[in-house]
This record gives sequence, C-alpha cells and structure tokens, in this order.
Amino acid sequence: MNVTGAGAVFARGRGIGSLEDALREGWTAPSRKPVASSPGEMIPVYSVEEKTIIDKAVLKKMRRADRFSKMAVLAAWDAVKDGGIEIGEGGARLGIILATAFGPQVTAFRFLDEIIDHGDASVSPTLFSHSVHNAAASYVASALGNHGPTLTVTQFGLSFHQALILARAWIREGRCEHVLVGSVEECGTVMEHICSKKLEIAEDGKIRPFAFSPSPSAVPGEGSVFLLLSREDRGKKYCELRGVFLDDESAEADPDLRILDADGMSEDETRYQEIAGQDVLIGGYSPLFGSMLTGSAFHCAAAAVMLKNQTLYACPVRDNPHDARVCASTEQKNLERIQCVSYSCRDERAVIELSR
Amino acid sequence: MVNVVITGIGAISAAGADLSETLATFEKGRARAGALSLFETSLTYPVFEVKNLRRKARGDEMRSISLALCAVEEALTDAELSSGLSRFRVGVCLGTTVASQLNDMDFYRAYRSGKPMSMRSVDRYLKGNLAEAVGRAIGLRGPSLTVVNACSSGADAIGVALSWLRDGVCDIAIAGGADELNIVPLCGFGALGILSDSICAPFDRDRKGLNLGEGAGVLVLESEEIARKRGKPSLLQLSGYGSAADAFHLTAPIPDGSGLESALEKAMSEAGIHAGDVCFVNAHGTATPDNDKIEGSVFRRIFGSEIKFLSSKGFVGHTLGAAGGLEAAFTAAALREGWIPGSAGFAQQDEEILLSPVRETTPITGRFAVSTSLAFGGNNAAIVMSRGSVDASGAQNRGDA
Repeated sequence: MNVTGAGAVFARGRGIGSLEDALREGWTAPSRKPVASSPGEMIPVYSVEEKTIIDKAVLKKMRRADRFSKMAVLAAWDAVKDGGIEIGEGGARLGIILATAFGPQVTAFRFLDEIIDHGDASVSPTLFSHSVHNAAASYVASALGNHGPTLTVTQFGLSFHQALILARAWIREGRCEHVLVGSVEECGTVMEHICSKKLEIAEDGKIRPFAFSPSPSAVPGEGSVFLLLSREDRGKKYCELRGVFLDDESAEADPDLRILDADGMSEDETRYQEIAGQDVLIGGYSPLFGSMLTGSAFHCAAAAVMLKNQTLYACPVRDNPHDARVCASTEQKNLERIQCVSYSCRDERAVIELSR
Repeated sequence: MVNVVITGIGAISAAGADLSETLATFEKGRARAGALSLFETSLTYPVFEVKNLRRKARGDEMRSISLALCAVEEALTDAELSSGLSRFRVGVCLGTTVASQLNDMDFYRAYRSGKPMSMRSVDRYLKGNLAEAVGRAIGLRGPSLTVVNACSSGADAIGVALSWLRDGVCDIAIAGGADELNIVPLCGFGALGILSDSICAPFDRDRKGLNLGEGAGVLVLESEEIARKRGKPSLLQLSGYGSAADAFHLTAPIPDGSGLESALEKAMSEAGIHAGDVCFVNAHGTATPDNDKIEGSVFRRIFGSEIKFLSSKGFVGHTLGAAGGLEAAFTAAALREGWIPGSAGFAQQDEEILLSPVRETTPITGRFAVSTSLAFGGNNAAIVMSRGSVDASGAQNRGDA
C-alpha cells in the first residue's frame, strides 16, 4: 500500500509544503493563551490561525461548518489534490477514515452553553448537528463529492494506527482503490483548562521528546493531517506503508530512523528510553505541531516527506539528557525505512513502518 | 475469502434485558416506552429506557459501558466463549454516540462557574472510550476501535469487524453498538423537530417522529475455520457489508435515496446475492417523515412491493449508536428463530411509500436477510446475513442462492 498524497493544517500553516518548511526551519515558539478558568494563567498552545482555514473556494458550501470540520476538510482536500486522483462519477473508488480523540468538543461545549443558557427546548439544531463526531468526515465527503465509505473512529490511544489498519484491510479486500486516512483535533478553552489540570505543561513552550521523563511536559496542539493511501504506486508516491504493528507483533529491526510519539500526552515516557537505547537514530517532531493524542498522524506525514525527499530533518528540540542518538542535523541521506513508534496510555506499543 | 460466521448474539434494550426476553416482547407485540427517569429535563417526549439494568456499574463506569458489557457477556456466553478468550486474538469494535463525548453537565456547569472543581468527570470520560473500556473489562488481546458514525455506528462497527476478520487482523471479533439516553441528543433531536410526543410509528402514514431509546446489541463474529476448530460451527453467516455516503447534507438524507441504494447494492454484491434472494429487511425505520419515505421508496425500488420488512424502533426506540448493533442482533436472531415480529406502531400505509411493513409475527423461510442503517452526515450502511446448514464435517453450506 502506497502513500500517494498528503495534506496538513497545523500551527505553522496549511499544506504538506508547510510541514516540509517547518521540518526544515525547526522550532518556533507557540502562541500563549490565557486559561479562561484561571485569571492571569497563560498556557502555550500550538493553535491554528484563523487565516489558515480561510478558503472560499473549497469551503464555499460549508458556511456553517466549525473550525474542527474546516481543518479536516482542508487537509483532506489538499491530500486528494496532492495525490492527483479524480473523485466523483466514474472517478476513483475512495474511502474516508477520520480518527479523532476528542471530536468537535468546542462545538459540543457550545451546545451545552445553549442548554444551560436557553433551556432544553430552545437550543440550536445547527450546533447540535455539528457537535457529533462524524460531522467533519461528512463535510469531507461533501467537499470531495465522494460517495464511498466514510467512517469516523475515536480512541484515546492509537486511533490513527487503527484507522491505518482498517484502510489497509479496505484496500486489500477491494472495498476501495484509495483511502483517505487522517486525524483532526481542536484545542478550545475547555480543553486548555483540562490540559492545564491534567498535564504537565512545558512553560517554555518546548516539548522534549528525548527527556524520557516519568512526568513529561506537553504543549497542547491542534490541526489535521490526511494521507492518501493507494493500492497502486501511481508514480507519485511518497513511500510505501509496510505495516502497522501492535504490541507483541514485531516490526522489522533497525530502520534508518525511529520517530518517537513522545509529546507529553501520556503519564510516563520512560518506556521510550528502551527504544532510544537500541543504537538506532531517533527523531521527534511534535515540537512543530504540538501534543495531540492523534499526533502519530503528523509524524507519519513527516516520515513520508523525509522518504520522498530522501532527507533527514534535524529534530526541532534536541535536549538530550540520556545521550540518545538523536537526529541533530538536516542532511540528504539514502533513507530506506522509517518507523513511527507510539505508546498508548495503556502501555500498548504501536509501530507504523514506512519504506521508500 | 474468509467466511465469517456469527456464533454469539447479545442484546439489551427497553424490550428486554437479554435476547430471550426481547424475543418474548416481540411476540407479544407490546412496546415499553414511557417517561424519562434517568435525568431531569423540561422535555416530555416518551423514551425507551432500560429499567433495572442488571449489571451494576463498576466504580465510575459510564452507563453505555454497562449496557455494552451486558450484551457482550450474553453474546460471549452464547458463543461458548465465557472463558478461554486469551487463546485468541479478539478484537472489539463498537459504535456509539454519547459515550464518545464529554457531555457532563455537572462538570461543565462547574467549569463555567470558575470555581475550583473536581476533574472526576474528565477522568471518567478518559477511561470511558467504549471499545477500549470493554476490551479492558474482559481482558482482550486484540485491536479495539470505537466507531462514531452517528446512527449507523453499530452497523459500521460490524462492517469493520468483517474487514478485520477477512484481513486476519484478529481471530474473533466482538462487534455492535451501545448508547445511553442523554440530555444532549434529547435536546438536539428535539430542536431538529424530529421527536414524537407519542409512541413512534415507523412507516405509518401518520408518523410524527422518533422516540429516543438506549441499549446495546452485539455479535460475536469469527472465521468459519476458527469456529469449527473450537467445536462451535454456526449456521449464521455475516455475508456482506456495504457503506456509502450521500455527500449531500449534514442532517437530511439525499431525497432520491441513492446513498442507501448504493450501500445495499454493495452489501448484496459482496454476499454474492440478488435482491430476490432476500427474505426480509430489518429497516432503520426511525419513524421520521424523511427517513421512512426514502427508505421505503428504496426498498420498493430494489426489492419490489412484496418484500417483508419491519422496523424494531417501535419496540426499542432509536438507540442511535446502538441501533445498528441491536438491529443486527435482531436480524441474526430472526434468521435463527425463523420468524420476524410485527412492526410495532404501524397501522396505515403511507401513499408516498406504497409499502407496508409486516403487521404481525411472520414466519420466514429464506436464507438471506438485510439490515439497513442511515445516519446524520449522510452515512448509509447495509449488512447481509445468511442462514446456511452445516454438513457432517462441520463445514458450512453457504446456501448460495
């Protein structure tokens, strides 16, 4: 199965080119936002700027869509255009799988505001219909004019991995020729409050993927990324998806780079140290887009860009107290395989393996 | 291609705490809707509430998880898998709507007040992802995935499990859906103007809308080979799944029903059958004017005017993310039992549909049945199940038409 297109919306912009630029340019400080529930308290957040999600052409039929849906639609749209496939009558058979941990919780909380402020019988039907998890994927299908299977899945751990496993199954069993697999998360004021209470926040705005800390620090992020997976190579591929390995399954040993999804979202990141000790070059790029339970999707996109460009990118934050083999410089390199490694909050390990 | 058999069925809803109680309710033809007692609201729409939930919630367990575990435990017992699951890679794929959201009014009121607050609700939510929680509760070793495709979630979860089994992702899959009554969908559906202030009447000329319900419906699915090896051959097979998007509107189905038609055609094609092979359809049948009109029109177009069909919403209400799971469980049970219940609430044919569901308990003799689900966002899902026979070696005769 091949990665033939990619699209992204995140704090540094829109489009896979923006992700490529961010990989090249390195770390920049996130914005700082006041915590609505704690006057005077500020929290660093990798927020998507409003100007990033303005596109009158693509979003023309979704005037009422919320930020969550808009981010997803733009990333998905860009991935399909990047892949160069035709959708619609007589076009490619495309499936859509969207993974999210928290769904459109900003809109869901706005709907709770309606109930509290106006009463049970006087709420907005529009807000309600946008508060359901699958609204974004439905907007993606509408924007693309795609009538194939459209699925939204949610897990707090490994939902993007599960989406990839299902996409592979859909392609293998002939349900689809292509599957658009992506993630979307939004960080609003309530989530910022929850993050400030539940997570160690990196006050300097720096996620440190190689600290392997028992109490790691996070910087909340938001955004969307989609990959277009195709049965055929189609001559414009980023890379091949070799497999998604869960827990006791084993990925092939010793890739050229292991990217760690260590972004402060789990309670303990000491388990990543074992991987770092295996004498394989390691990377971590969450300081470019922020901490998200579906951050693996961004790492997967970053790995796809590296394999396409045959370029290793220096990790944006390289604090390295354990002397791990951290990727410290950007250089052209013959890259054959990259693995993205995650541990869920339940200590399950998952490896996505991509190859040239 | 791997043949996937259904070896266990579990169901809990207002119609019954388990499948046998549910079937007894179906035979009596009596609905059990009434006033909401689970939470306070100014809305007075009747609901189908599960009374006396037999499984006591563990700790802070969400109600949807309790409902799911009731159905899962029943299905595993039916499949003779109450113990020994650790020998297999068992996946769990469940659909829901409410259990995916932090719809905790107490938490949110406290947040808005700006006063110091407990994070207990957040912790409960973070431990409450449906498939993860069920997998954890019964100690599964395999993939878990929660599908949140609104009202087709349960059917889509069964479709995901079918793909898993065919692709060798797991040996056995527990699949279906679970959902609880909650203030958010109650207010939301009320605002959309599609709740009925009387007992719902699917496909009836005078239908006024849906009643919300709650429950869980679960199937145990496995490859025919695994089932035979462990001495549990099954006559019931999950033969096909089709899914299609309207790509039309967030809350309204496409008027020509082309999305549902496409999902049905895909599911039947995958099962290798034609419309004439289908002996009955378990419809989504929400009792909203739009849904029933479109669904009925598609049935007439595809299956003809003699097709036997029903909606079980008149017995259990619209259970949202659980609906596809419950209806799959009812469809499998009907194939096993050889009869379908009368479609509760139906009295008079709608001239815009020109098709009537069965009015009383009806014997069925064919081998293939279909269950349909339609959802917000224009999702359409269809499942084909079949009843075969097992030969002397334990291999299933698929009973291909």
